[in-house]
Amino acid sequence: MNDRLGNRLKERRTELGLTQAELGDICLVTRKTINTVENGVFVPSTILALRLAEALNEPVERLFWLDR
Amino acid sequence: MSYSRRPDFDLPTAEEAERSRRTMLWLAPAIMLQQASRLMDSGQSLGSQIFDVATWMVLTLAILWVLAGWPVRWLSERDQLFLNDEGQQAMRGQSMRWGLIATSLIGCALMIAQIWVAIDSKTAINALVSGGIVVAALRLAWLNREDPADDE
Repeated sequence: MNDRLGNRLKERRTELGLTQAELGDICLVTRKTINTVENGVFVPSTILALRLAEALNEPVERLFWLDR
Repeated sequence: MSYSRRPDFDLPTAEEAERSRRTMLWLAPAIMLQQASRLMDSGQSLGSQIFDVATWMVLTLAILWVLAGWPVRWLSERDQLFLNDEGQQAMRGQSMRWGLIATSLIGCALMIAQIWVAIDSKTAINALVSGGIVVAALRLAWLNREDPADDE
């Protein structure tokens, strides 16, 4: 299985005018973690994915998907 | 007289703790290597040898303490969550894995080397522990490095 986790985190965050640091503050994670999730380096846990979705006011399945 | 908190004696903020962790991890290998070189010097008096071993042990435990992420326990719950987020946990896990691999490889190298060179147990322990910790600390420092934000 070579599934990768795709995301439109950056697009949505920019739409809302948030910086990585601000989004990190809302979700209680560092800017580095937001950065690595956006770049696909780090796969977030379900809890963090749901927290991000809540912070960005978007259903989680519209923020994350499986790239096959 | 009631207790009042000194305004200039605040606990470090999560950002300050994150910054100092990022910087200090690069210094860990230098400290370990300096201590290791003194430990190998057998021409010292017994007192100074005991002092060096004790210093090396304290330093080793202090670096392990940082690598395991325990110092954040005394910060506020919010700062703990921030400093011990899952990104940080993943980085710490990966650096610990590198440390274990380095320790195993150094162990193999020592086993092979002792066929030709006599290696005493003090040197072997030092090489194994220092090697593993140096690799883990460097890996964690590298993963923790400051990178430009995409939005800055």
